[in-house]
Amino acid sequence: MTMQALNQLVARSIIDPAIVQSFGTGQIGDVLADLDFSADLRERLAGLKASSWAEYAVLAYRVVKATEKVTVRVELPSPAEGLLPEQRKSGEERVA
Amino acid sequence: MIPVTSEERHWFLSNLARGLVEYTGVAEPPVPVEDILKHPPALYESDFGVVDMYSNLWDATFARPPTQRGSVFVRIDLPPDERRFALAREMLSALITSKHGRAMGLSDFLMTDLRESAEHFARKLLMPMALVTAYRKRKGKLEDVPDAFQVPPAVALTGWDESSDTLN
Repeated sequence: MTMQALNQLVARSIIDPAIVQSFGTGQIGDVLADLDFSADLRERLAGLKASSWAEYAVLAYRVVKATEKVTVRVELPSPAEGLLPEQRKSGEERVA
Repeated sequence: MIPVTSEERHWFLSNLARGLVEYTGVAEPPVPVEDILKHPPALYESDFGVVDMYSNLWDATFARPPTQRGSVFVRIDLPPDERRFALAREMLSALITSKHGRAMGLSDFLMTDLRESAEHFARKLLMPMALVTAYRKRKGKLEDVPDAFQVPPAVALTGWDESSDTLN
């Protein structure tokens, strides 16, 4: 959803001058508030410094992409889990 | 300007094209590229236009005569699919040089790879991901893409391959 929100923002920016104006006046956070970003991500995106809207969009893309990668990594189970024999696994759990 | 990868540049261009497609409200191919140029968003009233001309030098080129509206000058005898692609490609130059495009910083961002950027933009304008995905879900075939989207066969093939990368 997050990347979709960013895609939507960049898509709108080509026909909606208010977005670029908000960026230019340092108020892009107001625009981001209406989009589907987490509070933490919104804060990071609002704090990005760029010399133009195009540059800002790319920096935001990097941030959102990195965030989505981390999310995917956290959601995946460890491939080692299925390989461990049950007994050994339970033994390791006891040690831990 | 920060260094930008081609993947990042393509992502950005795809979204610019998407914004224009969404502006038209089109839900089925073909995307009416000539209509966008002839009846542009208010923001681009002094930047978009189409002028037919006789030329053996190029298929189309964007120009902005001093104190006049910018226009894509297009060869009058181009086949319709090639005409559409040429108009879509040159639309990027119209955007870059427009007042809004300059405010967005498009020229610094895109000028170094202009030709490649313009062709990518044109493909995404004429074959937007949403419409290609819907077409493929309806079991549309690659060989029918040039007709459905009214694009040259080579453009259809590249656009199809790009959508495969995203769908996989």
